[in-house]
Amino acid sequence: MMNTFQFDTALLLVALPEIFLLSSIVVILLVDLFLTKGFKQVTYYLTQFSLFITGLLAFNLIGHPETVIFSNSFVLDNMASVFKVFMMGATMVAMVYSRHYLTQHSLFRGEYFVLVLLSVLGMMVMVSGYSLLTLYLGLEILSLSLYTLIAIARERSGAIEAALKYFVLGAIASGLLLYGMSMIYGISGSLNISEISAFASDANLGSRETLIINFGLVFLVIGIAFKLGAVPFHMWVPDVYQGSPTSVTMFLSTVPKIAAVAMLVRILIDGLGAMHPYWSDLFMVLALLSIALGSVVALMQTNIKRMLAYSTISHVGFIMLGFVTGVVTGYGAATFYVLVYVFMSLAAFGIIILLNKKGFEADQISDYKGLSKHSPWFALMMLIVILSMAGVPPMLGFYSKFFILQQLVSAGFVTIAIIAVVFAVISAYYYLQIIKSMYFEDSEKEIVVSAPMDMKLILSINAILILVIGLFPDFWMKLALSLF
Amino acid sequence: MENIYLTIALAPLLGAIIAGFFGGMLGRKATHTITILGVLVSTVLALYVFNHHVLEKGEIFNQNLYTWMQIGSLNISVGFLIDNLTSVMLVVVSFVSLMVHIYTIGYMDDDDGYTKFFSYISLFTFSMFMLVMSNNFMQLFFGWEAVGLVSYLLIGFWHHKESAVEANLKAFLVNRVGDFGFLLGIGLVLAFSGSLDYAEVFSSLDNTTNQQLWGLDLITVICLLLFVGAMGKSAQVPLHVWLPGSMEGPTPISALIHAATMVTAGIFMVSRMSPMFELSDVALTVVMVIGAITALFMGLLGIVQNDIKKVVAYSTLSQLGYMTVALGVSAYSVAIFHLMTHAFFKALLFLGAGSVIVAMHHEQDIRKMGGLRKKMPITYWTALVGTLALIGFPGFAGFYSKDMIIEAVHFSSLPYAEWVYYAVVAGVFITAFYSFRMFFLVFHGKSRVDHHTEEHLHESAPSITFPLIALAIPSAVIGYFTIDPMLFNGWLDNAITIDAEKHVSMTELSNIFHGAAAMIPHAVQTLPFWMMVGGIATAWVFSLYRTQWADWVQNKFHRTNYALESLYGFDRFNEIVFVGGIKKLGNLLWKVSDMGIIDKIAVNGSARLVGFIGSVVRPIQTGYVYHYAFFMIFSLLIILTWVLFAGDNPLLQIEF
Amino acid sequence: MVSLSDYLILSAVIFCIGLVGIFINRTNIITLLMCVELILVAVNTNFIAFSHFLGNEAGQIFVFFILTVAAAEVAIGLAILTLLFRNKGSINVDVTNSLKG
Repeated sequence: MMNTFQFDTALLLVALPEIFLLSSIVVILLVDLFLTKGFKQVTYYLTQFSLFITGLLAFNLIGHPETVIFSNSFVLDNMASVFKVFMMGATMVAMVYSRHYLTQHSLFRGEYFVLVLLSVLGMMVMVSGYSLLTLYLGLEILSLSLYTLIAIARERSGAIEAALKYFVLGAIASGLLLYGMSMIYGISGSLNISEISAFASDANLGSRETLIINFGLVFLVIGIAFKLGAVPFHMWVPDVYQGSPTSVTMFLSTVPKIAAVAMLVRILIDGLGAMHPYWSDLFMVLALLSIALGSVVALMQTNIKRMLAYSTISHVGFIMLGFVTGVVTGYGAATFYVLVYVFMSLAAFGIIILLNKKGFEADQISDYKGLSKHSPWFALMMLIVILSMAGVPPMLGFYSKFFILQQLVSAGFVTIAIIAVVFAVISAYYYLQIIKSMYFEDSEKEIVVSAPMDMKLILSINAILILVIGLFPDFWMKLALSLF
Repeated sequence: MENIYLTIALAPLLGAIIAGFFGGMLGRKATHTITILGVLVSTVLALYVFNHHVLEKGEIFNQNLYTWMQIGSLNISVGFLIDNLTSVMLVVVSFVSLMVHIYTIGYMDDDDGYTKFFSYISLFTFSMFMLVMSNNFMQLFFGWEAVGLVSYLLIGFWHHKESAVEANLKAFLVNRVGDFGFLLGIGLVLAFSGSLDYAEVFSSLDNTTNQQLWGLDLITVICLLLFVGAMGKSAQVPLHVWLPGSMEGPTPISALIHAATMVTAGIFMVSRMSPMFELSDVALTVVMVIGAITALFMGLLGIVQNDIKKVVAYSTLSQLGYMTVALGVSAYSVAIFHLMTHAFFKALLFLGAGSVIVAMHHEQDIRKMGGLRKKMPITYWTALVGTLALIGFPGFAGFYSKDMIIEAVHFSSLPYAEWVYYAVVAGVFITAFYSFRMFFLVFHGKSRVDHHTEEHLHESAPSITFPLIALAIPSAVIGYFTIDPMLFNGWLDNAITIDAEKHVSMTELSNIFHGAAAMIPHAVQTLPFWMMVGGIATAWVFSLYRTQWADWVQNKFHRTNYALESLYGFDRFNEIVFVGGIKKLGNLLWKVSDMGIIDKIAVNGSARLVGFIGSVVRPIQTGYVYHYAFFMIFSLLIILTWVLFAGDNPLLQIEF
Repeated sequence: MVSLSDYLILSAVIFCIGLVGIFINRTNIITLLMCVELILVAVNTNFIAFSHFLGNEAGQIFVFFILTVAAAEVAIGLAILTLLFRNKGSINVDVTNSLKG
């Protein structure tokens, strides 16, 4: 690589959101150190503020012409900016919900927010990563912060167990990913995505080269599949979802999925798009396995967090199917799906957190018995979310599934679409359990909703938007399509 | 005109919104006045539209009103297609809905959910309007889901009843199967035509010629998938199991949703898609055979029911089967004709049954009734009209439509049409038998009513009897007046396409048709008429004349009886396949845990198999991190082997 | 002359030892951490070998980053280990199976 190192402050502006966020992290870390016990809320507000500003900066960069800086290792395009804005928004909502949970369970500490911000930074780097190195570093910043976040509930053995499992399996996965990267590097002679792409799409590629790329590709796909939580690399998902403090579960089940999809796009489409025929078969198998296992096993769960974990696995399968199509609109459909998924998942975990009390986690499905009596409003909100996840029109979740299936069918994968649909039918059964608990069963226990006003408000907006955007999905679908 | 169409749809919605959100504030009287007014407006306008389109032969209205979303070249809009088919449906739906609204005042009088109920049925009416007025597949699907949703809400309306909740869930789950088939069909339509608009899809049907999918013609696959949707909604075997259960809901909705309108949505949809179905004889044959099976066997089940509403429910299933048969032999207009007459007389029968139920203080067992004729004269006479219409007594509405279906099958050239002909003729006997069995047991003979109820037994309130009379009139005469224009004088011509060369039923029918009046004397010479008479006679013998014979037959043929009473094991079959199968699959991977609804429905006794396979596969999610790691790496090895050795890439030849 | 394939085979062997070590080891979590390190070492070997034979220094730079990340990873791993010991009084792999199914 004989690039001359360019250093131009104007180019730095392209990375302004990241730079700003990193500086805020340092400031918040310092400020938090000097805050006395009564003023810990300041950290929370500073966090929200810096997320907001970062989002704003990223928003301003939408429409910026595609620019690659830092020796071809950092890219800014529309996908990166839009993803960043979404990640900031989702994290802010997640933080609103988290605050209630953290106060209830005496986990409210400055480190929590700093770690969340750090993982967000890692994700931003992943989204903008344009060389294998930046992608790897972003991934590690994200993962290391998440391991620590889970273990922040020091006294809970479940959380520690979850952290340990996530850590060990995550380390193996990044080892596999790295091994794949080294293979790709070895054959193409470059870490840069565009150079890898140029190498892979060379028409005169010998069979030896193809073979080695394929060999590396398997490892890369596995690394990405692990991050997404696709079967058979899903083993960590249920355990981590169940064991982690609910606010962490919410965070790690939502925003990192966007980053994982971004990494997928960077490596497999921007970089190895020419190899699509080779990895799409693999993707198809993983996707169908995920949809099948996620749907079937979720049926057996009594713990709602664990159930949502399996439901995530099946959602991930749908997202991956979008990439199987091999057409730009299919990728758009997958992107739309992941954004919708994040939106729904936030609301679902929001409701779980809402019902939390000191020393009580509302994580059993039976805890939702009689919710429609004690809190009809939030039962209705949960109903919207659940119906959306099950893919009932006109909720948002219907469009995302419909979009994917439509793309699959028009790309000629009719059988695959049918299998996916069959399992989507099955998944309706377990979603129904929650609805049944909420509406058709009574409990002796009184359910008190003690959350602060801001959380109730945001949560209601979040859930209602699932319905409202469902009525006007046009803009969002176009947005998702415009990213490719 | 556009505003009129919009008003038809939106008036009930407005009523539903006001009743739903402000019902508590407004009180009962204001609520029912507003919702009834909304539906009344729709009814009047629907009649106007009917006049404009059908009688004055106005132009077809086909326009998009609002663009919902635009993905690439795919446009999804809200739009109306108003042709004669839609006009007929609008009149039927609005009229029955109006009657049911009025009836509800009396029927739900003592219920706490009074205003909520009105809100639901108005919402249902709106959804049904959107469904029949749609000009594209997406809106059709939305209306489809919306009527389904309201139907679930109403089946579970009395959710303190355990059985209502179970029925509710069953309806939801069974309909999911149908809906997803339907959705897939829509997806395929989209795939070949690139559009969801009816007109555009129908004009691009040539794209499908010579295309194959899974060894069948593409158009066959599409039609079959769409028909799966119709099977779910219109309760055709084997997706019929939810309909009898839906009787757990209040009677007015049984009349409106589960007899007159929603369940006929599948029939409507297939008629709408007639240009597609006409292209596939295979699909039409399947439609016909499924319809015949439903018509015959669901009727048989009606014989052994003792719950008054269940008898009517099974008769609905059987009549839906008749309509489906008509669709199968390309007699779409006959199907719609039967749909219309059936809507009137079946709504009448349900409301009549409801009137009896109210009078009997919610006793629904016909063995505990009898001799109600004197106490409830209006209910008696209207029920008699409804029953005669149902069994196809010459002159009544059902006679014309059913006779035409039977004749249409007779002329059909599809394979198996002969067998189907016997099935539908046998169905006539059965229909007459169970209908009059119920009629005799309820209204004639000695009273078996318990003493306490007997004292309070009296005719129902005017708000209940008025709809009965209002529905009895069309049940009696509508067939006579409409058969000629509807079937042979082109009322439906601008909505329905028939490949007259291949499917000759309609042409042949018009050859033998010599006016509605002439059909009556002719009927006496035909087999179906005597089948019907035989059915009535048998019913009389078994339920009035020699009641002990019924017991004798039951004992003698206890096996058959068992098969009928256990509903041919369909419920059990569905439980095993749809619910238990999934459950077992889950159990194979996971331990059996005792919880919730699925367990209650699911079959027991899979424990041994589960234990065996479970012990093989269980290590997957043991909780031990080294097992997880092993699983990951094992998967890696399998994938590597597959990727590297699947193609022509012999790994061993590499040299660095 | 040591060829590229020799390095690659060596690294593949180390990689496999690391992988196998993770699931064969059923006693101590510290062994797990060591196996993770082995995997990373294998990757590093790969990168350096490729870098050398390609005459391209990017791979060696990557290795520096991997080393740094590995250090951070181990720090976190050990921290989690400490917490585990506090909670369960053992760092045996077998104690962590309360989350399953």
